[in-house]
Amino acid sequence: MAKLSAQQRQDLIEELPRLKRFCMSLTSDPSDAEDLLQITVERLLEKGMPEDAHVAKWSHRVCRNLWIDEIRSRDVRSRYAQAEGAMEGVGTTSSNTEESVQLDRVSAAMERLPPEQRAALVQVAVEGCSYAEAAALLDVPIGTIMSRVARARKALAEDLEWSAEREA
Amino acid sequence: MTDDRHNVVDMAGTRVDDDHLLSMYIDNELDAERTIALVERLRAEPALRARLSAMEGNDVAVRKLYAQVDQNVPEHLTTLVQADNVVVVSFAQRWQTWASATAAASCAAVIALVMNFNQPADFSPMTMDAQLAGSLETSRSSATGWEALGNNRQFRSVLTFPAADGRWCREYLLAQEGSHWRGVACRDEGQWVNQVVGSEVFLEQETQYRPAGVDDSEKVARFIDETATDVALGPQQEAALISSGW
Repeated sequence: MAKLSAQQRQDLIEELPRLKRFCMSLTSDPSDAEDLLQITVERLLEKGMPEDAHVAKWSHRVCRNLWIDEIRSRDVRSRYAQAEGAMEGVGTTSSNTEESVQLDRVSAAMERLPPEQRAALVQVAVEGCSYAEAAALLDVPIGTIMSRVARARKALAEDLEWSAEREA
Repeated sequence: MTDDRHNVVDMAGTRVDDDHLLSMYIDNELDAERTIALVERLRAEPALRARLSAMEGNDVAVRKLYAQVDQNVPEHLTTLVQADNVVVVSFAQRWQTWASATAAASCAAVIALVMNFNQPADFSPMTMDAQLAGSLETSRSSATGWEALGNNRQFRSVLTFPAADGRWCREYLLAQEGSHWRGVACRDEGQWVNQVVGSEVFLEQETQYRPAGVDDSEKVARFIDETATDVALGPQQEAALISSGW
């Protein structure tokens, strides 16, 4: 397979912030996300991609496959259990304002979502993808995206409603 | 398409509930007919409006959450992608190989390295002098910190592992006046002998790189991947080995 062209390298650099958020949506853990981003970039540089490949789609696909093949298989879930609330450390520790409390709740609720629902929701709600675009990036049917996003929103709503009631 | 007030069938024939409808409405993925129908219901049903408001509010919070995640892509990654004609020593391969080693942390921190064998040097990295051998004999591996050697050199042992032929080998870093090397030395009948050494640039230091010589780089990477027969030693095992005189 061809190594990255100059244009593909430039496209990849521009894609890195989004790819990092995608890593976060998959792993829900900042350090795992950093590792996954690192491995994804190295794999892309090492293996290259076809000349006509769409850099965003290709890099997301590589990233997702690496997560499935190389990281998730190492029982990362046990680390989640040990590192409870890891994602809460992402910028939500500063104050006791109502907003930060709400972000803490959302962070915890996001972490409890199944990874595939979280990834779909982030692509649509955060990245602004259409269902078709998210489906292409995540390599699943459009109907699957619709269903995952809806289930994610439903779970978030119920989780946050429950946690708000509990703290009231 | 609507078959009652609370359930509809989507284009694939799948029954979807109000939460699916609201979700698609938020994402502007409902067709015109169902959008009009839903808007009429939203006017008439406070509970449905409240549900929509909650979902939209949660979306805003999720965006804020991920905006905080977004801040920094490690600069060395950008540099790595910008670099042309470089050979990457794969973090993925090394992480698997050395998964149990304390050095894995150092690999994670420094792993975006560019092997460079065309760099002219005023120091022969293959020379094993007494100081370097002494450090290989006695220093413990670590993810950070440097040990000063003579000739303005700095040394750090990265990890220790058993080779296929039974020898103990150590991967190490050596720096001298802006030049850097990564090497592997093995202990052969009481003497440390360099097996492979490559100059490199630590991208975390934001120094400039030069194109790598692919053949030499692959030789080093292959050596590291193929020589070890087991995972690298943990800190306690390594300390015991050093104390026992290998």
